[in-house]
Amino acid sequence: MAIASNTQALFTMSMVAAILPQLIVAFGATLALLLVAWRRSQRTIAIFTSVVLGMSLLVNMRLLTMPAMQVTQLLKVDGYSSFAFSLILISALVALRMSHSFLKAHTEVHDEYYLLLLLMVLGGGVLVTSDHYASLFLGFELLSISLVGLVGYHRESVYSVESGFKYLILSATASSFMLLGIAFIYSVTGNMSFSAAIPNVIYHQQGLGVFFQLGLLLFVSGIVFKLSIAPFHFWTPDVYQGSPTPVTMLMATVSKVAMFVVLLQCIVAQRYLLLENFQLFLLSFAITSMLLGNVMALKQQHLKRLLAYSSIAHMGYLLIVIIVASAQGLAFTWQSTLFYLAAYIVANLSIFMVIALLQLQGNNGLYQEDITRDDLHGLFWRTPSYALLMILGLLSLAGIPLTMGFIGKFYILTQATLAHAWWLIATLIVGSGIALGYYLPLIFKMFEGRSKASDKTKATLGPKVGRRIDKLLVYSFILLGLVLGILPDIINQFIG
Amino acid sequence: MTLTCIMLALLFAGGSAWRAENHWQGSAKWLALIALALLATVFAVFVMSASNDFAQLQVLSRVSWIESFNIEYSIALDQLSIVLITLTWLLAIICVLVSWYEIQSNVGFYYFNLLLTIAGIIGVFVAVDMFLFFFFWEVMLLPMTAIIAIWGHENRQFAALKFFIFTQVSSLLMLVAIIGTGYFHLMQTGQLSFYYPDWLLLDIPLSISQYLMFGFFIAFAVKLPSVPVHSWLPDAHTQAPTAGSVLLAGVLLKTGAYGLIRFVIFLFPQASLQFAPIAATLAVVSIVYGAKMAFAQQDFKRLVAYSSISHMGFVMLALFAFNSTAYQGAIVTLVAHGLSSAALFSLAGMIYQRIHSRNLTDMGGFWQSAPRMGGFALAFAGAAFGLPGLANFIGEFFSLVGAFQVMPAFTIIAALGLIGSAIYGMVLFQTSFQGAAKQDIIDLQLRELLICGSLLLMLLAIGLYPTLLLKFSFGV
Repeated sequence: MAIASNTQALFTMSMVAAILPQLIVAFGATLALLLVAWRRSQRTIAIFTSVVLGMSLLVNMRLLTMPAMQVTQLLKVDGYSSFAFSLILISALVALRMSHSFLKAHTEVHDEYYLLLLLMVLGGGVLVTSDHYASLFLGFELLSISLVGLVGYHRESVYSVESGFKYLILSATASSFMLLGIAFIYSVTGNMSFSAAIPNVIYHQQGLGVFFQLGLLLFVSGIVFKLSIAPFHFWTPDVYQGSPTPVTMLMATVSKVAMFVVLLQCIVAQRYLLLENFQLFLLSFAITSMLLGNVMALKQQHLKRLLAYSSIAHMGYLLIVIIVASAQGLAFTWQSTLFYLAAYIVANLSIFMVIALLQLQGNNGLYQEDITRDDLHGLFWRTPSYALLMILGLLSLAGIPLTMGFIGKFYILTQATLAHAWWLIATLIVGSGIALGYYLPLIFKMFEGRSKASDKTKATLGPKVGRRIDKLLVYSFILLGLVLGILPDIINQFIG
Repeated sequence: MTLTCIMLALLFAGGSAWRAENHWQGSAKWLALIALALLATVFAVFVMSASNDFAQLQVLSRVSWIESFNIEYSIALDQLSIVLITLTWLLAIICVLVSWYEIQSNVGFYYFNLLLTIAGIIGVFVAVDMFLFFFFWEVMLLPMTAIIAIWGHENRQFAALKFFIFTQVSSLLMLVAIIGTGYFHLMQTGQLSFYYPDWLLLDIPLSISQYLMFGFFIAFAVKLPSVPVHSWLPDAHTQAPTAGSVLLAGVLLKTGAYGLIRFVIFLFPQASLQFAPIAATLAVVSIVYGAKMAFAQQDFKRLVAYSSISHMGFVMLALFAFNSTAYQGAIVTLVAHGLSSAALFSLAGMIYQRIHSRNLTDMGGFWQSAPRMGGFALAFAGAAFGLPGLANFIGEFFSLVGAFQVMPAFTIIAALGLIGSAIYGMVLFQTSFQGAAKQDIIDLQLRELLICGSLLLMLLAIGLYPTLLLKFSFGV
């Protein structure tokens, strides 16, 4: 291929600078392997991983305001992809912290876990910057395979085998569909780059057009599988419930951001929206996801399951942005998507953080696998900081003002209103209405019971002194959620 | 600036009441009361001393907030908002007084929520940036829902959920209308704007404005409430703690009417005029249906709740009559209903504290043991069915007189509601205070006398000297 023959001319130092964050993670993953060979210590590797992620994040922050840059044919780094990668890194850092306390609760040393985490982040980093089907597939597989390892990681858990297998098989199926789709597309267009100029004629050509559209459908079905958009959502509740909470957290954040960003990248660059059939497919996906996700979440008792269904609905909301995207308003489309994703991630990190912390404190300090609605009973009076964080997260998901989720919904509604997509708006409103039916009872649950200000049990149930970092994380996320919800311009300046 | 400080001070007072209660029991209510009294005075002094002419909307501050959407933090005052804010302050103080002994658990957090609701309501009345308005609209909703869900009666969570979902879904429709109007402004002038005075200058063709108006109308009709989107109200009012009901009936419903006036009728006059027959029909149905349903209730608070639907029907009828007499009548009705329904809900709370029931069948013959309470109950029931001399009479009279000039048929049917209100008012009074004494109750205490006395005094003042309110033009 062209890339291999004259690498020197195609690859410059400024390109290295542009993908430095990804390189740091990749290098970190290699070093981590060496570190495992040298010394097996949970503490060391956890610190090492966080340093790698932190460095990558710092470097990435610098890239946010840089102009777009093509790095070989495969990758393209711009402000949007850097922002998305920052989101991924932040989620990974939080998940890392939660994993650390989770893994400590079990014996054995878990170096592999951290390695898989790094690989997964790398996969996400490749995905958000990819500009070519090859890099897309590379990132996709890197992310999926490491995620499979993580999902089934907690061997002692009853759910581990079930959810691991479910995810492995379905995810492998999805990627093979996707690969076949890519092959179809390639066979028609003869080019795998996103930015390749494809003549409009191809879409409508007799014979070829159908082939192309079939390829497109297969390709998209692979991606929406990862996004758990209905009707490709069946794995979501089981896998969300069965995975260790930090892994669920990763799945809800890293995987979703990476996949959505690459989907948008691809669709926008290839102008697939011009295809009416394709738009119809996305439309039906969005509407089914919004309704089905919300309705199914209503009666769930298990919190992680409930969040799984709510994530289906949220991806449905977000799909609206893609459906109504138009060539003139691309910047706005990106802005809406990234803001919504940022809001979604902050909310999910908040909620899963609380779930993870509750699991750790479970039955008198023993690890508790299942967190159901009832475990939230009176949480506000027991540990107000956890409850506050959770409430903010839930309100943000429900899209109530004061939170980022509302601004995100505002973006989506604005997009849809501009495109006159009344049916989508109607579904969104109905969906949000149904969603309140499960978010609010959760919040009410936390307020049940009475406060016992004089009760001494409060002190022991609260975060222990040794968990200063957790405490700090909880408070900083409460602050983050509120500040960004009231002053969204802080985020807008990066993506505007 | 002063208004912003007042809202922040309410938030701060709420927070400190919450903290203080943990250290000194019983301090939260005093703190809340003092803070409210103090801030109400500050507000009164501010309005009195302001050199502005509040007959027109006076913009007090404008600061850029979310630049990517050209959203501003802008607040303004006019006579309408001043009157409604004054009502809010009065009822807020009443709310603290009625909760004095009623709230026994999580007291600090309760007053935090109460003060936060008040801050949100004031925000709704002063916001003139539509995004900000929506923001406050929801901010007042959250703590109110918490008040119902945490300190309410037996079926509180369901009622709170219903209340929240109704309001939230309808307000999302309003949000779409807000976005639509904002972008219409972009199309017409080249600049995105959510600033209300900017919107007033817009010339929106009827084909678009009817939809935009409808989005706003639904949100406010739910809040008002009007048939057929009223069904959250009986549940929410019945299940809320006394102060919650007082606040809901007294002020929250008024935000719906306020929205109708400011954001439906003034913003989309043509579309509203076109919509008037439908709105008037809904209003008349609300009046008659509310009165009929009130008559059929066994629950004291539920009865008053349905009567609210009936009274708010008069407001809607008067507003959509597009007649200045009716308009003034509507505003007097707003204030009068705020006071009278607050009074009746307070009474319900007092009775509930004594007999732990809201059921009318458990009541009867209270007059013998509690004549002072009976006297007040008679007066308030009288106010509710529009007894001359009390404020409600003025409001309903003006509303009907004004509306009759425009749509006589509707008004004639609406007047039937007056008969209905007399019936349920008397049913309410007779079953609870007359007849054979079912149990003896303690008569009103000093605090309760203060509540009832002040409310009655205000009802009488407006009833006997309506110029108090009628001297204002309210922007017409």
